[in-house]
Amino acid sequence: MNDNAAKKPFSIQKTVLRILLYFVVIDVCIITLYPYFAMFCTALKSRAEIFSPHGTILPVTALWSNFIDIWSRAPMANYLLNSILIAGGSTIIAMLCGIPAAYALARMRFKGQTAFLGFVIVSQMFAPVVLLIGIYQVMLRLGLTDSLLGLIFINAAFNQAFTIWLLRGTFMGISAEMEQAATIDGCNRLQSMTRVLLPVAAPGIVTTLIFIFINAWNEYTVALCLISTDTNKPLTVGINIFNGYNMIEWQYLFAASIFAIIPVVILFMCIEKNLVSGLASGGVKG
Amino acid sequence: MSKVAQKKPVPAKMTPPRSGNSPAKRALRRIEPYIWIAPSVILMAVFILIPILSVFQMSLSDVSKAGKIKGFNGLGNFIKVVKGSAFGLVLQNTLVWTIAVVVLSTVLGFVLALILNNKFRGRKVARAIVVFPWATTLVIQASVWNFIINTDYGTLNTLLMKLGIIKQAVNWTPTPEAYFAWEIACGIFVTIPFVTFCVLSGLQSIDTTYYEAATVDGANYWQKLFKITLPLVKSSLTVSTVLNIIYVFNSFPIIWTMTKGDPANHTDTLVTYLYKLAFYNGRQGEAAAVSVIGFLILLVCASVYMIYTLRKGDDN
Repeated sequence: MNDNAAKKPFSIQKTVLRILLYFVVIDVCIITLYPYFAMFCTALKSRAEIFSPHGTILPVTALWSNFIDIWSRAPMANYLLNSILIAGGSTIIAMLCGIPAAYALARMRFKGQTAFLGFVIVSQMFAPVVLLIGIYQVMLRLGLTDSLLGLIFINAAFNQAFTIWLLRGTFMGISAEMEQAATIDGCNRLQSMTRVLLPVAAPGIVTTLIFIFINAWNEYTVALCLISTDTNKPLTVGINIFNGYNMIEWQYLFAASIFAIIPVVILFMCIEKNLVSGLASGGVKG
Repeated sequence: MSKVAQKKPVPAKMTPPRSGNSPAKRALRRIEPYIWIAPSVILMAVFILIPILSVFQMSLSDVSKAGKIKGFNGLGNFIKVVKGSAFGLVLQNTLVWTIAVVVLSTVLGFVLALILNNKFRGRKVARAIVVFPWATTLVIQASVWNFIINTDYGTLNTLLMKLGIIKQAVNWTPTPEAYFAWEIACGIFVTIPFVTFCVLSGLQSIDTTYYEAATVDGANYWQKLFKITLPLVKSSLTVSTVLNIIYVFNSFPIIWTMTKGDPANHTDTLVTYLYKLAFYNGRQGEAAAVSVIGFLILLVCASVYMIYTLRKGDDN
């Protein structure tokens, strides 16, 4: 009896806190998801319904045909393919350049190491948008304006900092002993890296490459500036064809947006946990 | 992040292989690291360093509309920019935008992380949902917000009317300032997840025995929050804040999608202003000057941060 009396107020307070916790969490989730909900509902409405003075929340009749119409009203297939090529290409180049650099920073000592790492960090301070004028000049000289290849190089370059940062942290967290043993067994550096280190570092590498892929997929500013031919545009820029000055086709804009969002959200949910710990541990003392 | 605080074992550096002590091989070994970093260096040199140098050069030059450098112009571009009628407003907007978004998203993101760090049913789902805005490209996020707050057909009005909270459609954007406030809200919305996840990673590495000991000593929730939690996630918060200052300061898509900086520069920040100068008005020299000014502002912030953290390092 005594025991119960002592426990009761404690548990009431706990229940109230629990309810409050769920209340806040559910609210946060609703607010976060609301834009996506509005986007999805609007993508299923007719133009008349969207602009009607008697607004609706859910579509009166779901027009799934909007999701099909966008493919004929705009070169959506091109946009989608371009986004895949840009994101994929950027990821490959960023990794091919970033893995050896991160390896050298984690496993070797050389003159200029600090300077190199310093530049990597400082490069973070220049967003592509601030350098657009300079980037445009370089692209003109290389003949890469209005080309996917140009965008691939830019995305790869501006993601180097993250790549090196994340991978260096991953590599430094792995003991070098195994590689040393492999070296004694007659492997050279390249072999000891590809056969011993990289398989162990695989989770970190996958996280890094998905992160670069997402960044390049979501990139907007440089593509907006460099690409002028419609069929060369990635999704982020291309879908604005439905967002004209005079007439906004919201239903098509959002239907197309959903195609641009879904792959990324899925990928992001896969790496979310690793990414944050990677960001944190890679950032240790430059 | 407090993994950082614990001293990590320093990974043993690879010892050079014993065989091959001929001068040629030794020379090769000395240049080996440079071969490893070469691809990365070349990539960044061509696509980041050269544009940086090019922007600095253009900011000091007389530049034609086509982007051809016609000659040295000293600080002419900077003087023109600073004397421009819109510059004061743009600079003010940039500061308001950066400070409001970074401060509010850091506070809200931190609180959200504390909430999500509790154990409750559906925590995994909640965390997956919270990450959504981080993963979505900013253009799309901004388009949806633009749609939601529209006076004539926006879903916010529809929703509030259906719920009976308002009777008539409200004009959510009566003034440019109001529009700018919505842009800031959108900026906060998309920035919160990054802060939350940085803080969460810090929170999860805190040893629970600290809290148990504090509870035994009779500490209340707030004491534990300010004496244990906050100091231990401080490094995570610093990382996320510094990165956010840089990203938010340079953020272009939200403002570009929602207002393009209009009307009359009232919602312009430095990056949208320089984009218009360079690609709409053909005033590339001045645009380059704006870039350099923006960079200098960020550099000052970064130096203050570096000095601050270095001093903190000395204390330890």
